[in-house]
Amino acid sequence: MTATLSRRARLNEVLADHATAVLGVVLVVLVLLTAAVEPSYLSVTGLRNTLLIAAPLGIMAAGQTILMLTGGIDLSVTMIATGAAYVAGNQSPRGAVIAMLLGLLVGVVAGAVNGIGVGVFRVNPLIMTLAMSAILLGLFTQWAQTILQGSTAAAPLIKTLGGGSFADNLIPYAVVIWALLSAGLLLLLHRTGLGRMIYGVGDNEMALRLAGVRPWQIYLTVYVLAGVGAAIAGILLAGRTGAVDLQLASAFLLPSVAAAVIGGTSIFGGVGGYSGTIIGALILSVLNSMLTFLDVGQGLQQIVYGSIVLTLAWAYASLTGPAGGAGGAGWGR
Amino acid sequence: MNATGASSWHPAANLTQRWPVQSAWTALVWLLLLVLLGWYSTLIPSFGSFQLASITKNSMPLAYLAIGQAVIVIAGGIDLSLGALLVLSNSLAAQLMFEQPFSATLALAVLIIGAGAVANGAVGWIVIRSGVPDIVVTLATGFIWSGLALLILPSPGGGTSEGFRLLFTGSRFSSGSNFWPSTLMLIVPMVLVAYGMRHRRQGLALYATGSDRNAAYLSGVDVRRAKIVAYAVGGAMAALSGLATVAITGSGDPRFSIGANATLNSVAAVVLGGVALTGGTGSVVGAVAGAIILFFLNPILSAMRIDPNTAQVVQGGLIVIVMMGAGFLAQRRSRST
Repeated sequence: MTATLSRRARLNEVLADHATAVLGVVLVVLVLLTAAVEPSYLSVTGLRNTLLIAAPLGIMAAGQTILMLTGGIDLSVTMIATGAAYVAGNQSPRGAVIAMLLGLLVGVVAGAVNGIGVGVFRVNPLIMTLAMSAILLGLFTQWAQTILQGSTAAAPLIKTLGGGSFADNLIPYAVVIWALLSAGLLLLLHRTGLGRMIYGVGDNEMALRLAGVRPWQIYLTVYVLAGVGAAIAGILLAGRTGAVDLQLASAFLLPSVAAAVIGGTSIFGGVGGYSGTIIGALILSVLNSMLTFLDVGQGLQQIVYGSIVLTLAWAYASLTGPAGGAGGAGWGR
Repeated sequence: MNATGASSWHPAANLTQRWPVQSAWTALVWLLLLVLLGWYSTLIPSFGSFQLASITKNSMPLAYLAIGQAVIVIAGGIDLSLGALLVLSNSLAAQLMFEQPFSATLALAVLIIGAGAVANGAVGWIVIRSGVPDIVVTLATGFIWSGLALLILPSPGGGTSEGFRLLFTGSRFSSGSNFWPSTLMLIVPMVLVAYGMRHRRQGLALYATGSDRNAAYLSGVDVRRAKIVAYAVGGAMAALSGLATVAITGSGDPRFSIGANATLNSVAAVVLGGVALTGGTGSVVGAVAGAIILFFLNPILSAMRIDPNTAQVVQGGLIVIVMMGAGFLAQRRSRST
């Protein structure tokens, strides 16, 4: 009995130490399963389509990851993304570059307001971003009939960035943007002082404060970064779909949180990183493709998606941490 | 949201400080509601039982949802799937109750409330078993509930008996001026749950668990049971909310966005009503006032001839300002002590 237990414990330890590898295996299995459902999936086109879905999700989840590292969360990412996309689409006649900059401005402003609320006024991140989401939805619904009236067709350049590819139609531009942003974020988190402080503020804010850091500056920075990330993701989505409506990114909220959680970032702060989130985003995108191929109807699709996300999060939690227990995890410990 | 900053540093002062402060917040929110009502009555040409009936009736679904969310948040959790559960209950009821006699619809209602409690109790069980944070679990179960709702009722439709509509709304059709049934239906569940939370052993266990899980465990509280109970009560209230919706609208609507909006509003109502998201404080009665205020902003702003989309902005802005004010006060208090 003890022998089997210890062997099992050791296996768990090995798996927990190589959690990213385990996630990679899950990803490969999902790709193969999808190929079993639809053999043509294992082709350049099939994989490229998955990557095209994964890029905006991965960028949105990047914001979610750094916020979670500080102990925060952003439930307004989808509305920021939608708003940015709407502005970028609507302002396209002014030229693609200006339109995209205006779109990014939406992310900066909304992120900064979130950051001030959370960092300076100490509003609970959940409430702050929920309210921000409601405010943005109201504002953009109104603006769609007034100052942002008219066409929302994206400019050709935005369409190329969001849905086009180069090198013999092999590599989508969106994926290149995602890769560049990922590299930047990984450098930021692991090679800079700000990166250490992001982990620090989520791990022990009091210690950081006593060391002379002003935590509100860090909160402001991460919320602005997350807002910009959401805006970029929204603009890429607008490019992929061609035209924008106010429901554009609404389906991305659960995936953006789930990609980070599946990838091993703790919602309580201080633990995790972006490399896991990348694999999480890829897993969810493959899952999405698989469910589309299965063609089971929207209802069943949602049920399967929710169940699998829950199962993966559960499996990851039981693999890496002491689950349950009297003092086990609970929201807002 | 009040006093958390200060009292967490002085545990001994908790008992003497917290209760008056909290009751003051609850009283303040109800007072705000009364002031708004008074103001509203001057805004429109005639204010009477018809308007009162319309307000109590239409704020009912959100009020029920806020009660459920309050119980879960007080116990230290948060449920982002309550709105989806409302939609599921609404779709199920509209599908099953269509062209049924009153007695059958009543029996179905009891069954649906029970099912809601069991289903969400299971969510609570998953939360404690898995160690996955409440937010993540309930975001995922929200997808499952709304997927089920789509399977049960693929497009808006269905119906219920006239008697069932009468029970909730005081009229057989969509509008009437008898406000007593809806007022009673609003107050009775609130009083029952509030009494259970404050004066029953299990209710106090929820407060204890949400306030300090380890301390509660060491004092002999079954913290796991407390969480499951909280989620089950939340599920029952979400189911009731779906039933109220079918009674008010006379049909079911399985759309995902309805549930998502309802969830956001329930969290906002709870926070406005003085329930801290950190758990262990606040009251169900305050949450109900928060819910009615949130709904009530719509007719007020439309009476002021303001665009309905602005109403949403004002709602969000109000929540942010209230929370910023509360956070600011809490910081000042913790600095001065």
